[in-house]
Amino acid sequence: MRRAFFKNIFGRVAVLVQGLKPAHFYLRLAARLKSCPVTKHVIEPRCKSLRYAVLVAGLAVFLPVAAFCQAAGRQPGELAWAIHYDPKTFDPAKVDDQTSEFVRYLTGGVLLRINRQTQELDPQLAESYRISPQGTSITFKLRNGLLFSDGSSLTSADVAWSLRRLLDPQTKAPVAEEFLVPGGVTIETPDKLTVTIHLPKRVIGVERIFYEIAIEPANRPSEGRVTAGPFTVDEYKRGQYLRLKRNPHYWRRDGANVQLPYASGVRLDILNNREQEMALFLRGEYDLIDGPSPDYFGLLAQKSPQSARDLGASLNTEQLWFNQASQAALPDYEKAWFQNRGFRVAVSQAIHRADLARIAYDGHATPAYGFISPANKMWHNDSLKVPQESVAEANRLLASSGFHRSGNQLWDSAGHPVKFSIVTNAGNLARQKMAALIQQDLAALGMQVTLVSLDFPALIERLMHKQDYEACLLGLSNAEADPSTMMNLWLSSSPNHQWNPSQKTPATEWEAEIDKEMQLQASTPLYKDRKRALDRVQQIVADQQPFIYLLYPNALQAISLQLRGVQPAILSPGPFWNIDALLREGGGR
Amino acid sequence: MKRASALLLLMLIVAAALIVLLGRWDYKTQDRDAVQVPSSAQHWAGTDELGRDRAVRVAGALLIGLAGATAAAALTTLIAAGFGLLAAFSPRAIAAILMFVSDVFLTLPWLFLLMMARSLLPLTASPPETAILTFLVLAVLGWPACARAVFHGARNLRAAEWMIYGQACGLRRQQLISLHLVPHLRPLLLPQFLICVPAFIVAEANLGALGLGVGEPLPSWGAMLLELDNSALLLQSHWVYLPIALLVVVLLILESFTSEVNTNA
Repeated sequence: MRRAFFKNIFGRVAVLVQGLKPAHFYLRLAARLKSCPVTKHVIEPRCKSLRYAVLVAGLAVFLPVAAFCQAAGRQPGELAWAIHYDPKTFDPAKVDDQTSEFVRYLTGGVLLRINRQTQELDPQLAESYRISPQGTSITFKLRNGLLFSDGSSLTSADVAWSLRRLLDPQTKAPVAEEFLVPGGVTIETPDKLTVTIHLPKRVIGVERIFYEIAIEPANRPSEGRVTAGPFTVDEYKRGQYLRLKRNPHYWRRDGANVQLPYASGVRLDILNNREQEMALFLRGEYDLIDGPSPDYFGLLAQKSPQSARDLGASLNTEQLWFNQASQAALPDYEKAWFQNRGFRVAVSQAIHRADLARIAYDGHATPAYGFISPANKMWHNDSLKVPQESVAEANRLLASSGFHRSGNQLWDSAGHPVKFSIVTNAGNLARQKMAALIQQDLAALGMQVTLVSLDFPALIERLMHKQDYEACLLGLSNAEADPSTMMNLWLSSSPNHQWNPSQKTPATEWEAEIDKEMQLQASTPLYKDRKRALDRVQQIVADQQPFIYLLYPNALQAISLQLRGVQPAILSPGPFWNIDALLREGGGR
Repeated sequence: MKRASALLLLMLIVAAALIVLLGRWDYKTQDRDAVQVPSSAQHWAGTDELGRDRAVRVAGALLIGLAGATAAAALTTLIAAGFGLLAAFSPRAIAAILMFVSDVFLTLPWLFLLMMARSLLPLTASPPETAILTFLVLAVLGWPACARAVFHGARNLRAAEWMIYGQACGLRRQQLISLHLVPHLRPLLLPQFLICVPAFIVAEANLGALGLGVGEPLPSWGAMLLELDNSALLLQSHWVYLPIALLVVVLLILESFTSEVNTNA
């Protein structure tokens, strides 16, 4: 009787909670046919193994939860928050993912650092720097008495070794490419405190590269164990947490001559569950969340309004684009639509961006019309002329571009109904809501849009390799304000020129002009000339709409009221960019 | 009990059909000024995250889920019966090969197969096409377990005295199968069919929750259950529980049919 009861409960739970069709199916079938001699020998063994399967499934669900509950507790004076996946590397030279970048930021000592609030460079290990008039060499003067975390001296030899290792092709350091010709870079160390780097070719904004280069002890790469930054790697448990401890020889002191960092350490839990992350923050287990989703941010704003910080438009963008690649596996008439400027502009005019911001982002996003966010005051084109949102105007433009309406359907001049799909990545609820809103907006023009959510690898395969898609809705993260970092997106020869990648020669005159202006801004030293070139690119993009910009998601942060010294910034890593000055109240040294 | 369940199910279907046909809203219209609102005169079960009327969408999901799962269950039972009978009346070697094929199907990880099959569909498949294809895929992958049971049942019956008597009387194989064998296998096929209906409803909900089920904006259990993944939303309106509550009711009703058959058998 009890056995039957539990079997029944298992079956129902399997259906209602997990939807484990096989579990439910076999349990029910086993129960049904158990008495039937012809089938007994078929079902019975399966039913037995099923019990083990259910047991294993139960353990698979509960063990990670139990493991998480047993994660290391907070130590005195320690800060804690979550990162969403394991760092790919602790080698600061090989960083190419966001989590590894965070670890490098927290541990690596750098010559210069970008002040995330002023966007100016702050001296760090280098007390000063000087760029030659030709822009082909940069000289750093190090601070006196610098030490690594193990107490050994930090001199120009360590800086030179770190740079040479980074520039060595065998290291495969992603940041090396920013020197344009890394193989031609030479390094001199006239004395223990001076380092001069000679470049074969002028690199605009070369000094900004150095905030990504952590200085390591010469010939002793330690993967973050011996550093000149505020913290060092102490303990790492894959899939659980990473613990950093204070560097006792960190160079910086505050105004009262107290050595920084204030915090005794940082614990980064590896947790890819936004709901759990928010719950732990609300319970005081975490000190901050960088970029909570709008839904959870709204929840936080209700429960703890002072912890919820909306800093306004970030530098990131959400955009829609059509596949214009000549080699795309699409019918010619569809390529003709997508290459038609009138078609793209009409789509842009029909999308109600304010609704996207209000409904998909719960109001925590800003309508976008160009690729430079208004938060990027240095480079945003304030006099940009953009297509006005108007369905009537969009209908007129489509009519003048060779399209016509018949009932609720739009047709092209050759008699093809305008139907296409928009692909986006699965798992991003805000983006999926945006897609559904766009679907209805475009229905007002007579366009039939189907929505397809793909897992990220499948999406990238279609976008980057097969070019097998019609339209795509995705976002782009901009870690830096300087437009030079966007070269790989805008140059028509680039594989990341999404709407028509890797062109041998620019397919259109306006793409050729974008190429010219972007090259100009990357090679001109004067800000005024660079700005003029970039303003022109912004205007071309607004006129041609190769990317239909939709939103700038707002920079959202959750910051514990117990955390002192926070200077929230929209540039990554926003809430903890001044990590050495952060202190948890009641967690003093 | 069975009649009460059938009556309740019928009432639900009629009510859902009336809501869909006579309701003020259709399943895809976004009332953007009333997003995530609780129950009101305009939207008596509130609206979802895009301002779509929840009552109409839940009613639509119920009709689509039931119709699709019933059709898929009928198809999969038919395939299983055909395959099992074919194997039972084939020479031993061919029967072994056919059952091996069935076993191979049985051992495949069905969820991944479903995901693979569903993701191979063309991007431009319209929402109704995705609904048909989703249930078709479920039907095509769901038959092997029952096929083996049918095979063993039919093979035992094949050696029964009354079958030999039938053969001696000159009945053809088709006549034997249709007049005698299938009625005797009915107690096996009917529960198989009844079990498949709720199982396919749940399978569609799983696929929908993975973004691989019925395409938007067509309503489906899977898409609506996705709302429950957002605890921030759960706090705003209790009406978000309506789809899962109704799904539980429908599954329990369908379950009661199988229990009833079990008792009778």
